[in-house]
Amino acid sequence: MNSKSIYKIPGGKLVKISLEYDENNNTISSVKITGDFFAYPEEAIETLENSLKNTEIKKEIVLKKINSLISSNNIEFIGLNAEGITEAIMRCLQ
Amino acid sequence: MKEQWRYLITNNLSAAKNMAIDRAVLVANSEEKVPPTVRFYTWSPPAISIGYFQSLSEEVDLEKCKKLGVEYVRRITGGGAVFHEEELTYSIVIPESHSEIPKNIMDSYARICGAVIKGLKNLEIESKYAPINDIISGGKKISGNAQTRKLKTVLQHGTVLMDVDVEKMFSILRVPNEKIRDKMISDVKQRVTSVKHLLGNTVSFEKAASAMKRGFEGEFDIELIPGELTDYELNLSDEFEKDCFSNPDWNHKR
Repeated sequence: MNSKSIYKIPGGKLVKISLEYDENNNTISSVKITGDFFAYPEEAIETLENSLKNTEIKKEIVLKKINSLISSNNIEFIGLNAEGITEAIMRCLQ
Repeated sequence: MKEQWRYLITNNLSAAKNMAIDRAVLVANSEEKVPPTVRFYTWSPPAISIGYFQSLSEEVDLEKCKKLGVEYVRRITGGGAVFHEEELTYSIVIPESHSEIPKNIMDSYARICGAVIKGLKNLEIESKYAPINDIISGGKKISGNAQTRKLKTVLQHGTVLMDVDVEKMFSILRVPNEKIRDKMISDVKQRVTSVKHLLGNTVSFEKAASAMKRGFEGEFDIELIPGELTDYELNLSDEFEKDCFSNPDWNHKR
């Protein structure tokens, strides 16, 4: 299944998610995180997207995974955060 | 004696060339081949630049660009889509370790925007920094800014709106829903201003650049010495232009 969402981070920027997911297993097949935010280093967004593949689409699990990727890849977001990305991903299922 | 940085003016370049030069200067500065550099530039033909993380096809009506002769390019910096027509664009390249550059990214935005604010003041325009990355005057946006840090070097580029054609801008930008296009246009008109609008008359690029130059010199207590791109930078920028900024793989990659 494919789904999209647009979410305005409170106090931040707009994040757009394009999600392809496996309905049977409730997992992410692929995800694109786009928008007018800032992330340092920029290329880390692709690492984040790739590493989210096969993650179960449950709020706590997605959030935990993103937080651990932020810390292991030393990502600094401006106008975006792990909660916002998670929220935007969850909204793809609504 | 004041520290001397390089001052560049490059007018009327293509979108790909402009972005290639910013990246070439970043690389050259990171290799200590050139001093910290402030460049002012314009775009010809007019162009739309999108932030690194944006989806080109979702943000920009590519057919419309073609029809209107507007170029498009993906930046190496984050942030939003910008229509570059009547504006002065600046870029600054400086080592991350430079004492004038705060280590904290948000603080460094504020600091570099301080130079633009001083420049606007030289044009008799009062303005202030509006986090995350705008400068506003009378509550309306007059400048947007975007920074990247690569190779232990800071590149920040941004716009000073000299004049603005919101209708034209929106004819090129995609909106989530056509029904709200008119509403978005009127909202943006409420939120965006320009040097021309604030002063009631057109200011030449030369006059604006001179005001901005003094703004950067004042903010950083330095002297900007007019210079040229080195052969090394010109070669690098040719390479980046060809391999990256005019390459569909790059521009369409998200």
